[in-house]
This record gives sequence, structure tokens and C-alpha cells, in this order.
Amino acid sequence: MATLEHSVPRTAGGLLEWFTSVDHKKIGILYLSSALVFFVLSGILALVMRSELAQPGLQLVDRQTYAQLFTMHGTGMMFFFGTPMVIGLANYFVPLHIGAPDVAFPRLNAFAFWLTLAGAVMAFAGFLTATGAAAFGWTAYAPLSGDAYSPGTGADLWIIGVALSGVAGVLAAVNLLATIFGMRAPGMSMLRMSIFNWNIVVTSILIAFSFPALTVALALLWADRNLGSSFFEPAGGGDPVLYQHLFWFFGHPEVYILILPFFGIVTEIIPVFSRKPVFGYKGFVFATLLIGAYSFSVWAHHMFTTGAVDGPFFSATSMLIAVPTGIKFFNWIGTMWGGKIRFQTPMLFCAGFLFMFLMGGITGVFLASPPLDYFVHDTYYVVAHLHYVLFGGSVFAMFAGLYYWIPKMSGRMLSEGLGKLHFVLLLVGMNAAFFPMHQLGIDGMQRRIPDYPASFGYAQENLVSTAGAFLIALAVLVFFINLFVSLRRGPLAGDDPWGGYTLEWATTSPPPHHNFHRLPPIRSARPVFDERRENAQAGPEGGSP
Amino acid sequence: MTRLVRPISCMALLVMVGASACVPQAPSVQGRAVNQLYGIFAVIASIIFVVTAALIALSMLRYRAKPSDDALPAQFEGNVKLELIWFAIPTVIVVVLFILTLQKLDVVTERAPDPESIIEVDAYQWGWSFTYRGEGVNISGGPHNDPELVVPIDRAVAFEISAEDVQHSFYLPRLLIKRDAIPGRTNRVDVEIDEPGRYIGKCAEFCGLLHAEMNFVVRAVPPLEYRAWLNERKQDDGNA
Ligand code: HEM
Ligand SMILES: [Cu+2]
Ligand SMILES: [Cu+2]
Repeated sequence: MATLEHSVPRTAGGLLEWFTSVDHKKIGILYLSSALVFFVLSGILALVMRSELAQPGLQLVDRQTYAQLFTMHGTGMMFFFGTPMVIGLANYFVPLHIGAPDVAFPRLNAFAFWLTLAGAVMAFAGFLTATGAAAFGWTAYAPLSGDAYSPGTGADLWIIGVALSGVAGVLAAVNLLATIFGMRAPGMSMLRMSIFNWNIVVTSILIAFSFPALTVALALLWADRNLGSSFFEPAGGGDPVLYQHLFWFFGHPEVYILILPFFGIVTEIIPVFSRKPVFGYKGFVFATLLIGAYSFSVWAHHMFTTGAVDGPFFSATSMLIAVPTGIKFFNWIGTMWGGKIRFQTPMLFCAGFLFMFLMGGITGVFLASPPLDYFVHDTYYVVAHLHYVLFGGSVFAMFAGLYYWIPKMSGRMLSEGLGKLHFVLLLVGMNAAFFPMHQLGIDGMQRRIPDYPASFGYAQENLVSTAGAFLIALAVLVFFINLFVSLRRGPLAGDDPWGGYTLEWATTSPPPHHNFHRLPPIRSARPVFDERRENAQAGPEGGSP
Repeated sequence: MTRLVRPISCMALLVMVGASACVPQAPSVQGRAVNQLYGIFAVIASIIFVVTAALIALSMLRYRAKPSDDALPAQFEGNVKLELIWFAIPTVIVVVLFILTLQKLDVVTERAPDPESIIEVDAYQWGWSFTYRGEGVNISGGPHNDPELVVPIDRAVAFEISAEDVQHSFYLPRLLIKRDAIPGRTNRVDVEIDEPGRYIGKCAEFCGLLHAEMNFVVRAVPPLEYRAWLNERKQDDGNA
């Protein structure tokens, strides 16, 4: 330990410390905080969209503004909320889970965070320019995103901002991989790692191999816009479909980057609250690796309607991905089966996750079938599907993780009562907001439209959906009130409020600067559980370590 | 357990009916193939959803902690045989869905050897231009002036789709079909409508400011009427 004390530079105190710190826990909290800020910002953009769509006619915003809204909502949620949230949670808990004092490259870690934030601010700064923010969707398909059809600084700020945060993601991923492969405590073999860590291993590999494709796509797009090249301009011999290939070679792994870590969180919480070990540890690891491998072979399922890709091949690989996902579902059920489940807030959110993600996963199989995709592609059916996966899946699991881990990070428990209220409001709101969208898509409502004629018969579902969106906003407000009140006045958490299994529960809440004063012996994937049980068997006097 | 089979299968039936009834019956050969495929997917998906959701709910209800009971439950760590079974079940389902997909994919992408007409679709910001190949007839228009093209029923019509500026997408919601309009490329879709009527068409790929307004109408009429319309249009266009 003494040598490590030297390798990490001292940091200043007070507020300044947050800007200069290279401690993985501080950087983790910075990531989480900025991710939550962009969750709220992008959520507010969504509320404006939903208000505009509540009834036929253009009431609130004009068409150009609406295009900026859905572009920056999608961009903010994917790049500046989702990915940083994942990296933030990994930052805080990977070193703790493997019994390490910090990440492998603390300075690089801080650099990656500030680069992400710079990118996010840059992309959103488009709103301050004369022509507004980028307005070509979070996918930025060429040639629409080229200089001829999207002039204006907002578009260039978007390209550079997203590219910067992508590069930062790669740096963070490499750092996490180096940490996991190089800094595990004695006894922490790969097959004793938490399932959360396994998911971070696969996620980091996905980031490291998929984000470069995005960087290339954006660099070429930038060159087309600013240097007069024509990589994606048909007039100059380029091909718009090439852009789609590059984008989705990144984009599909990206959706697994936004879901695998949350699978990991759920797989940590369900066993603890069922008071059993995870059912089928190796099955989970195998399924995670399989999903990671498959996720690089399915990208063109987003491109069936281009008519330029091999439908049967990409359909087959996409459907196959349902298999490892199915394994996980049954292993979660197996974990609860025969347990004694305590339904505190983290477990409630896991329950919500299971039902909502099931729904999103199933509609995904429909979209993997080209004839059905020709039918519902680019309609609200897809918007429904993606929010069941990313909101019902990732966001529910994120809240499960926050209720579970904020006591560790802050030393104080969140309120159970407010937590349950938050859960109920969110569950009702999310289904009201997104379930009717399936029917809207089937009835032919395209995505990315600010308005629809009354004669199309979309008004009712849209009104329900908008009401649901405001319920979601209320639920999120309850969460922040809970956070605000509990962090000041919540009951003290102690080291291990939930009867946890993994090493973060073997240290204080919050953990000291180098994480552990002592580590329990690591003989299984549940070192803290093992030690607790040995102490109990040795009797109240005997078991002190 | 057995007393749960009935409520669960009733639920499954209900969800199935609901899920498959929400798709309108399409008035075309290709659309009906999509209808059938969606129906089968909906049935299988409903069964999977209800059974899995019931298992999740059952395990949660049955194994929730009793307030006074502090003893540790049995600590079993898995069962390889069970895991292999639930590896096999989704694999089989997925293979079945894939085979069904392949069959219907042939129907919806099949090209008629001798279509009644070939209509060149050219999408632009913001509007559509439809050219009846070899007939010298063109119909075009944009927002507030939706173009209306006429096609025969009971005959295959081929659409050759491209775009002039950015990407658009040729979308006929009631016929359950769409295909992208991409500058520099041509996509072909064949449609055989069998019910006369006016079907709304839209642009499905975001293409800028007036994307939502890029509508058009396909009017399907009996073949004789179609020929008459075509001749009339030819003369009109010729005189113009
Ligand atoms: C806070 C609640 C949310 C609401 C009410 C909401 C609502 C919407 C709506 C209405 C659209 C469609 C806009 C359109 O096509 O015109 C949309 C698009 C989208 N949403 Fe959300 N959303 C929410 C949360 C999220 C979350 C948590 C994520 C991801 C982590 C997300 C990711 C996306 C993406 C990627 C798009 C596509 C944007 C595009 O078309 O370029 N949303 N959302
Ligand atoms: Cu995908
Ligand atoms: Cu369009």
C-alpha cells in the first residue's frame, strides 16, 4: 500500500478538489453528476416534444426547433447521459469490487471525464448559435448532415462534441480494462469477479472497438462539410449508405454499452435481496461474452429498408442475440426462486426492470425480421421499442443501482418511502408514455415529426403519451427531492446496509482515500458474505479477524 | 403450480388476441404476407411474454421474505441441466421465427417478371415525382399539393425508388411497406393491391424541415379504369 500512496498525487481541498482530483471515486461522482444533469436536460427537451405532440397542430415550437429537440434529446441521452453514467458507475465500483486502491491510470481517468464534459457542452452549445443546435437526428445521416442541407455552426459543434466524448470513452474503457486485468487483489481470480465487473469487461471491449468507427464516420463527415471532400456525397462519387454502415457499426454495440452494465447491476442486486448466490454464475459470464461477440455482427438490422444489405444474414444474427438474453432472464428467475426476497427500493426497481426489459426485448425480435421491419421501421413502434429497452431497461436498473449504492458513496440511506413513490410514479408514467407508441407506429405515425393532421386519428394515444411523460418528470422530481433531503438528513448507512456480498461492503461508507484498510479473504465471488457467515458460526466473541 | 396453468393460458390468449388484432388487414398481396407474419410473431411473443412474466411474478410473490423469518434460504448456485434447457428453448423458437421470416421475405421482395407498370419514384426536399415509365406520364407535387397517383388493382406494379438530394423513404402505411429513397441508388418494390381505394403515402426518413408534410396518395382502381386514366393523362400531358 505504501508504494501506491506515492503514485497518486495529493489533491487540493474544498471545491477545487473536484476539479483537480484524480481519485476514482471523486471522478466517478463527477461522471454520475454530469450524467444526471444531461438526463434532466435531455428529459426537458423530451417534455417539450411531448407537449408539442399532445394534439394536432403546431402550438409550441416551429419545425426547425422540433428537429433540434429530438436531435439533442437523443444525442444527450445516448452520449452525455447513458455512456457517462455507465463509465461513472464503473469508475466508482470496479476498483472497489476487485479490491484495488484506484484505477490503473488515475490521471488519464480525470482527463477522460473532462474531455467528455467538454464534448457535451460543445454539442449543446449549438443552442446558443444563430442557427441553433444540430437538427439531423442523433444518427446524423448524410447527406442531410452535410453542409448543403445543414449549414450552420451547430452542426459542426455537434460533430466535434460527439467525437470528443467518443475518444474520451475509449480512454476510459482502456483504463477500466487495464484496471480489471492488472489490479485485482490476491485471490480475486477472473471467475470470482462480480457479474457487474464481467459486464464492464465486455462493455469496455465494445467501447474500445466500436467508438473508433464513430470517430471515423464523424471525421469523414466533418471533412465533407469543411474540406470539400465527398465521402458521403453521391454527386462526388461518395455513398450515403457507407455513412450508415460506419454509424451503426458503432451504434448497435452502443446500445449494448448502455444495457450490459445495467444487466450487471441487476445481477448484483437480485441475489443480495433474495439472500442467495446468483443462479448460474458461469452461465451469466458466458451469456455476456456471447452478447458482446454477437453485437458486432448485427449492425445492419438498422438498415434493412436501405435495400443495400443482406437481410437474411443480419436477421439471423440479430435473432440469435435473443438467446443469451433469454438465458439471463431465466437465471434471474432462478436466483429469486427459493430465496427470501426483501422488496426494498433497489429490488423494486429490479422488478420493474425485469418486466419492462422483457417487453422491449420481445419487440426487438419483431424488428429483426426484415418483412416486419419494412412495415414499422422509422415509425413510433421503434421509438416505443427503444424506450422500453433504454428507459424500462437501463434507466430502471440505473435507479436500482443508485438506491443500492448511494448509501455506499455518501454514507447515508435514501428514504424508502420516497423511493417507493418514485418507483410507482415512474412505472405508471413510463408505460403511459411509451406503450401507446406501439399502436401509433402500427397505425403509420412516423418518428421525427412535429405534427400530424387530426384526420390521421393519432390524437388520443398522443395525449396519453404526453400525460405519461409528465408523470415521469414528477417521478424524477421525487427522486431528486429524496436525494437532496436524504444526503443531508438520511439515517447513517454503516458499512453494509443491505447484507451485501461484494468487496465494496467490506469498507466504510464512503470508503477512505485508498478504499480499504483491510480486505477480507477472497475465496469465492461473495467474500463479504463468506466472512459474515464465518463470523456468525464462530459466535459473537470468536470471529474477530 | 397446475392451478396456475389456466389463468396463465387465459392471459396468454388475451394478450395474443390483443397483440395481433392491432395491425390493420392490408389490402395487398405483400401486405397480407406481413399481416400473417406479424400475427404468428404476435402469438409466439405473447406466449413468451406471459409465461416469462408469470414466472417472474410467481417467484417474487412466492418467495418474498416473511417478516419474522431471518434464517438463510438454501444457497444453491445453479443447475447446468436447467440452464441447457433454457438455452435450447429460445434457440428453437428463434430458428422457427427465422424460417418463417425467410418465407415471407420472399413474398414481399419478389419482383413481378412483367409488371403492369413501372413507376419511377423520385423523392426530393420536399415532394415526390412519379414517372410512369414508357407512358410519358408524370405526376408530382409536395406539401399542400399532395400528388395522387393511380394504379390498377389485381396487377403487380413496380416502384423504382430514388432520391435527388437527401435520403427519404417511400412509405405506404396501410400496405405495411416502405423502402428508402437514397440518392445515387435505386430500390425496387413491387405491390399488388386487390381492393380499390385511396391509400395515403408518407415519407418515413427524416429529410429536413417539411418531412412531416411529404404526403402523397395512391388511388387503386380496376385495370380498365386505370388504362383509361393513363390514356387521358397522356393526352393531357401531350397537349400541355
Ligand atoms: C424522460 C423521458 C423520455 C421521454 C418522454 C422521451 C420521449 C421521446 C420521444 C417522444 C422521442 C421521439 C421524438 C421523435 O421522433 O419525434 C424520443 C426519441 C429518442 N429518445 Fe427519448 N424519451 C425519454 C427518455 C429517453 C432515454 C432515457 C433515452 C436513452 C437513454 C432516450 C433516447 C432516445 C433516442 C435515442 C431517441 C431518438 C432520437 C432521434 O430520433 O434522433 N430517451 N424520445
Ligand atoms: Cu441494433
Ligand atoms: Cu422525409
